[in-house]
Amino acid sequence: MEEDMNNRPPMTDGDDGIDRVLALATVPELPPGAIERLMARIEPGNVVQFQPRLKTRSVIFRYAAALPLAASLALGIYLGAKGTLDFALPAAVTGEIASNDDTPDDFSGVSEAEQYAEDNLS
Amino acid sequence: MTSRTGNSESIATDLGASGDAELLLASARREPAAFAELVNRYYRPVYRVVWRMTSGHADSEDIAQEAFVKLWRDPHQVREAAALKGWLMKVASNAVIDRSRKRVHADLDAVPEIADQAAVASAPLDRKQAAKLVDGRIAALPERQRLALSLVYFEGLSNIEAAAVMETTIEAVESLLGRARRSLRASLASEWRDLLDGLSSAGS
Repeated sequence: MEEDMNNRPPMTDGDDGIDRVLALATVPELPPGAIERLMARIEPGNVVQFQPRLKTRSVIFRYAAALPLAASLALGIYLGAKGTLDFALPAAVTGEIASNDDTPDDFSGVSEAEQYAEDNLS
Repeated sequence: MTSRTGNSESIATDLGASGDAELLLASARREPAAFAELVNRYYRPVYRVVWRMTSGHADSEDIAQEAFVKLWRDPHQVREAAALKGWLMKVASNAVIDRSRKRVHADLDAVPEIADQAAVASAPLDRKQAAKLVDGRIAALPERQRLALSLVYFEGLSNIEAAAVMETTIEAVESLLGRARRSLRASLASEWRDLLDGLSSAGS
């Protein structure tokens, strides 16, 4: 690099002042590893290529979380329907529903229509 | 051609005797060793031109690389092997100009710091300060003048070669060099004596 500087041709005839001043300018050096980086760029073999995963995961891994949840739900429905575990549950959950024996109220007034007609009431 | 077995230094010894034309043909046959020899020959001067054009910007390496990547992709782009160095410099300098046009706002951090006038006047310049001062004044030159100066003065190209790189006439190159010289002389007027005195004292 120093040799390059010394070999610089005079830029002008009869004015070596500017040449001498320009000789003071920085002579940039290649950054360390610059040539290797360039060669790595043109030679893809030097670079580890990204390998996409060819084999997909098996079904058992894909549903690993869902399977126990589904099994638990199915078991709950089965045991609930069969009543096997009713003894362990509160009566409010397992007891019979109270039946309503009252005569249904007639709020429409249709049953009283005949009586109104006989009394000529309007 | 020998195959690439070691680092770039060992390759240079194997292929150092080959001419550019031969290395270009081998590169066209996708022989990295031949291309590595071309890189060894011309990467430094191309990088220096880019560095000077960008005022030492961090992108200098990327831009210089682009020229070589372009060559690797299609070595047949170079019509005359003898003009390979000029071709690389042309591609690289065009890349610099393209980038500078895209970037309207210059990165001030990347421009070499221009020495403080008062500090210069009061203290004698050492070599490092003088280099920084001259770099700063060169960086302030217009783009074309800076390129002409880099090619002819710093890289030793003839005016004819520089004109080919810059795709202009020899007269235009001479004009650019003259203007660059006058601008530098004017911008360094106040430090001129210090710079020359510093050189003489350093030389004695």
